[in-house]
Amino acid sequence: MNRRLLPWLALALVVGATLTFVAWPRGGSPSPAAHARALAEEFRCPECQGLSAADSSSSTARAMRADIRERVENGQSDAEIRQAMIDRFGDSILLKPEGKGLGLVVWGLPVVALVVGATGLVLALRRWRRQPSASATDADRALVERARS
Amino acid sequence: MTHPLRWVALGVGVVVAALAVVLALQVGNDQLQAQPRSELLGDPAPDFNVTTLDGEEVSLDSLRGRAVIVNFWNSWCIPCRQEEPALKEFFDSHRDEDDVALLGIVRDDTESAARRAVGDRGIEWPMGLDPDGKAALDFGTRGQPETYAITPDGLIVGTKYGPASVEDLETLLATARGQR
Repeated sequence: MNRRLLPWLALALVVGATLTFVAWPRGGSPSPAAHARALAEEFRCPECQGLSAADSSSSTARAMRADIRERVENGQSDAEIRQAMIDRFGDSILLKPEGKGLGLVVWGLPVVALVVGATGLVLALRRWRRQPSASATDADRALVERARS
Repeated sequence: MTHPLRWVALGVGVVVAALAVVLALQVGNDQLQAQPRSELLGDPAPDFNVTTLDGEEVSLDSLRGRAVIVNFWNSWCIPCRQEEPALKEFFDSHRDEDDVALLGIVRDDTESAARRAVGDRGIEWPMGLDPDGKAALDFGTRGQPETYAITPDGLIVGTKYGPASVEDLETLLATARGQR
């Protein structure tokens, strides 16, 4: 194996292990309270600026948290709870856009930008590698010698 | 432009510009507050149940058969005060009509403050308490005052965000009665 690749392989191993550790699902199901809190973080507080229903102390946010908790305890699925909020307030109650319609554009644009940027970088690097490296000729060396003397 | 790199650069530029435009359009734009109409229009009204300051239980079922105007209100909100003369005039015009009900629901306020304001300001229509905010949530309210028109068979057919005029209230009532 090319020894120059070893540091890159080691780096890839460390990055991969870290990402796996961070993304690995933790064991056990969350308590209803934790589950309800996590869901409340998905919803915008209707009468605040930029706060989630989990973070706001407004009356509506408190009512939303209680409503979500009750629905969780009654066994409703996350999708049913999301839909109940959307039915009252519309899609804009969601802090994260859904992965459909205009929401798909919001999620997709950064990925497109990343792919286009990476493609551009690869093309640029290949172009630079194809350019002949400059090396000094005998005439260049003679010129330098003359200048030094 | 013959070199592919220039096309790539142009593509990146277009994507970045599009993102910048989208972000610029979103700055300061609260979609919920800017939303012009209720999601509940045309849907069955929430099955609310409130106790009025007089101790009477009022629910959607108890108002079946009547055109209902529900007004979310509280004691400290300035637009609610601005709206009160219109509500008083509207209530006086229809207080003897059996097929009409005007119901206030206290939103985001304490019972004592609401009771004091209702007494001091001479509000005569029933005022329901909603201490846990359930009715306000079920109607999808974003603030107060907000006014909803409900048909005799329980459908929401009209909404008004902000202070309603007498004309607004008459329009809502006519809509609830199926006259518009």
